[in-house]
Amino acid sequence: MLDFCGIEKERLRARWVSSAEAPEFVEEINDFVKVLKKLGPSPLRKEQVEAVA
Amino acid sequence: MIDQVKQKINDLLSNGSVKGVVALVHSNGNVAPCLYQKGDDLDKLCLGDTDSAGDARYPLNKVLVTLSRQYPDEVFGVLVRGCDERGLYGLYRLNQLDPERVVPIGIACPQSLALQCECKKPWPDNMMAGKASEGIDQKGVANAECDSQPERFSYWAGQFLKCVKCYGCRDICPMCFCRECSLECEDLVSKGDLPVEIPVFHLVRAMHMADRCIDCGLCDEACPADIPLRLLYKKTALIMNAEFGFTSGINKYEKSPLSLMGPAPEK
Repeated sequence: MLDFCGIEKERLRARWVSSAEAPEFVEEINDFVKVLKKLGPSPLRKEQVEAVA
Repeated sequence: MIDQVKQKINDLLSNGSVKGVVALVHSNGNVAPCLYQKGDDLDKLCLGDTDSAGDARYPLNKVLVTLSRQYPDEVFGVLVRGCDERGLYGLYRLNQLDPERVVPIGIACPQSLALQCECKKPWPDNMMAGKASEGIDQKGVANAECDSQPERFSYWAGQFLKCVKCYGCRDICPMCFCRECSLECEDLVSKGDLPVEIPVFHLVRAMHMADRCIDCGLCDEACPADIPLRLLYKKTALIMNAEFGFTSGINKYEKSPLSLMGPAPEK
């Protein structure tokens, strides 16, 4: 649905990580942060929304 | 067609098989929902035809749900078009109505209405009057997907910005029956703020429509800001179909994959 509305779907992630799997969690977050940095600031910031609409 | 419907309603009421029939009435120049009971005058019965056939629609199922909550032991008749019948199937599935206590009176929509509604099934399975028109191809979602990602974003952001948060889409929706609504939960939606949070407000409703929306288009008609809500819900319905092979309101007793636990059902 995000993609349909023109929002990069990479901005939302759902992963199941057990509380015993700290390294997986860290890896996931680091990877997510990397992806988000590449994508840049969210288009959903208020001023941004008003500018493009 | 209307005479057949009148006859049917008369029969049902006089032989006592239903307590009342939910249909429409011409009253003071308007079309309104009406509960007909034994002995009531059926002269002003109306099928929602004003300027053209079926142009005055109303979520009669919603009236029926309210009635059956008040009178759970009574049987009621209800006037249904194709979309309304899909709604009934949905409401049976979601335990909001008991199929044993509902007598649908099915009427087919004329081709003009089917075209106007871009309806894929403008007739009920159980058709009492009228002749089935042809279903119309749905092109809206595919067209909306042709645009590039930034174009889609500016289109939808523009649409959502218009929202005045009147809750008209929810109030008119025959499939919205929750006693507590997420969109009124202050932890999720702050009161009194406009514009609504984009895209959360509208996507919450879209997600809740995923296994419910019967594509009747009343939300589009009700929206004072002309936000193409139905297009949004059509997309969620397509995702449900692609992922689970499920379409709301098509099969009478089909369970929603969202209410099952375990592996995905076979398509």
